Amino acid sequence: MNVRKIVTFVEEIHSEGGNAVRPAARTAVVLAVIENPWAGEGFVDDLAPLIDKVAPELGALLAPRVVEALGAPVEAYGKAAIVGLDGEIEHGSALIHTLKFGDHFRTAANATTLLPAVEKRAPAGTVFDIPLKHVTDATTRSHHQTVEARVADAPRADEIVVGLAAAAQGRPQARLAPLSSEQ
Amino acid sequence: MDPLIRKIVTMTEDVVAELGRPVDRITRRAVAAAVIRNPWHGRGYVADLQPEVRDVAPCLARALTGRLIDALGGADRVEAFGKAAIVGVDGETEHGSALIHTPYFGDVLRDAVDGTSIIAFAEQRAAPGAPLTVPLWHKTASATRSHYQTVEIRVGDAPRPDEIVVIAAASSGSRPNARIGDRTTDSAVEITELEGATP
Repeated sequence: MNVRKIVTFVEEIHSEGGNAVRPAARTAVVLAVIENPWAGEGFVDDLAPLIDKVAPELGALLAPRVVEALGAPVEAYGKAAIVGLDGEIEHGSALIHTLKFGDHFRTAANATTLLPAVEKRAPAGTVFDIPLKHVTDATTRSHHQTVEARVADAPRADEIVVGLAAAAQGRPQARLAPLSSEQ
Repeated sequence: MDPLIRKIVTMTEDVVAELGRPVDRITRRAVAAAVIRNPWHGRGYVADLQPEVRDVAPCLARALTGRLIDALGGADRVEAFGKAAIVGVDGETEHGSALIHTPYFGDVLRDAVDGTSIIAFAEQRAAPGAPLTVPLWHKTASATRSHYQTVEIRVGDAPRPDEIVVIAAASSGSRPNARIGDRTTDSAVEITELEGATP
């Protein structure tokens, strides 16, 4: 795996709708900009060999960083793959939609649920939103949220931006009735 | 009244490789940005900005500087610094300048990292989501060419028209693979030689 750079965002929300949020609501995103492992190879039918090699390396790189950046127990999480214009979205999906990637985060976050994800193909500097859900109960409505990210100079056409996102709580000032109240 | 600070965003960037080869030394750049209520919003033209600057700027500088130092792993890791402000469209750019271009802000950042240089800066008025490129230079020797660099910050939902994004930035070293010499190594060039230069 060839990494060009690693970018970390931490957001602390101290007030929302004019009301103080205490403690501040924290979210973190860590992104790795890597060379697309399939760049220049044309259509590759069997993606498994490079999934087996690259996905675990990415999981091991990103999972501890996002947990450390959050600095608090992870309550909600999500993942992202933004593929440069010369690649297939399938290349990004290949790297993130495998237990070989996601289980690193699941273990680090004491999580059990599926990781919600965003995949898209885009030029460098695209803005993307990473969806997050609760780490053990994907129906916990207070924890449905998104976090925005962008890397100005990535992905290049032959790169992929792969990321993990974590939140230490649900939405600030969350006050919707639980799903169960409508069933 | 609304709390002063709506949110604080901290971004770090580690460049590991350039053009496919590992960089000579991994530099970490960090930016911390506080989204605040514009303290002069709704008051029309305010002649004396000093009282609010005195109230607001030092606590912002402390909050941002602390996050930069944490992000870089210690004050001694800071080699270059910069500062910036993005004023929401209902404010004056002067409001942002007021918060960053006085000792109430700059001295806090400079002292915390044992700097002596003036601090590189940028300011603008813009809609939410506008990216701003923050210039950085060396904290004690601002003419150190290897440390001329920038880092970009963008907050998707800020500044609202009545807000200001106040920004501080730091770097742990030079540009990746910096190799354009310095004023001590430049050969002597006469301006007349440059006049005839064509691409």
